[in-house]
Amino acid sequence: MHEFSISSEIANSVLDAAGKNKGKKVLSIQLEIGELTHLNGEQVAFWVHELFKGSVAEGAEVKIKTTKVRIHCKTCGYRGGMKSNQEDFFRHLMPLTCPRCNGIQIRAVKGRECILRRIQVIK
Amino acid sequence: MKVIKSRGPEIFDIELEKDLLAKNRYLAKENKKRFDRSNILAIDIMGSIGSGKTSMIKAILKKLGMSKKIAVIAGDLTTTIDAERIEREGARVIQVNTGRECHLDANLIHQAIKRMNLDGVKVLFIENVGNLICPGEFPLGAHKRLVVTSVTEGPYMIVKHPYIFREADVIVLNKIDLAKAMKVNLSQLEKDAKKINPHAPFIKTNALSGIGISKIINTLGLKT
Repeated sequence: MHEFSISSEIANSVLDAAGKNKGKKVLSIQLEIGELTHLNGEQVAFWVHELFKGSVAEGAEVKIKTTKVRIHCKTCGYRGGMKSNQEDFFRHLMPLTCPRCNGIQIRAVKGRECILRRIQVIK
Repeated sequence: MKVIKSRGPEIFDIELEKDLLAKNRYLAKENKKRFDRSNILAIDIMGSIGSGKTSMIKAILKKLGMSKKIAVIAGDLTTTIDAERIEREGARVIQVNTGRECHLDANLIHQAIKRMNLDGVKVLFIENVGNLICPGEFPLGAHKRLVVTSVTEGPYMIVKHPYIFREADVIVLNKIDLAKAMKVNLSQLEKDAKKINPHAPFIKTNALSGIGISKIINTLGLKT
């Protein structure tokens, strides 16, 4: 959905870090995108490539890892993932109940992020 | 920023560890703190284009008759049409134009509330940009999130946009008077909503005639 605006922030952060470190060329960037975000990795990679054109990061490899959802249940203290057999339709949705106690007081501790982990540059 | 190691003579890994969505979540928390300090109940009104978000806010204002205690932030890409419509009901209103962005974000609300006079305000409605997709991912710091959809959008609108309906605290189905003309089955739409989000109350309305508006007022706890 808003892949373009997020991609612009990613590209700016990469170019900023490369500039501060006097990088002559960016070889690769590593991203982690949570399963609960509505960010499509392919679209993010496409826009980041486009935005890099004409800069020191032109042609850099964009590596994307998807992070699975992890929840914390206030009722029973469960910390962990969800059952893998849930319907595909619900895959990108915040789970409703704890897989251990069925409690509804749960919160996502992982899965809502879009992290720029690291970049690799030639100095 | 941390430069960690050298691979070969010239290649370096630079650790950035920057979460690009975290800033919005942080600012949303700051907004919520601001609302709590002044005892303001903030409600994010999300929904499709033309589903009746502004009409619903107008109907609520009319019914409550406490317009001086209600403020509205109207979000749109451009124009002040909605802000003017709401202003006629006597509420304090500020228009936020996003220009190109398809959703409001916590920073825009942060800026808007800095410029607003919120003295004596008990309820703040934040009318999001008409869109059933993007606003879901950008919490604004509101206490409750309400999604409006309507019968004229056809029978599949809820099931096709599960993300935003899952994020909602209240789901409103507007324009129910047109169900027959649109050949839309109201109970099927309710079933779709309950499948995606069994916790959110589902309220059927006709904002223009006022049907269902009292239910929204009660559900949101607006009678103060």
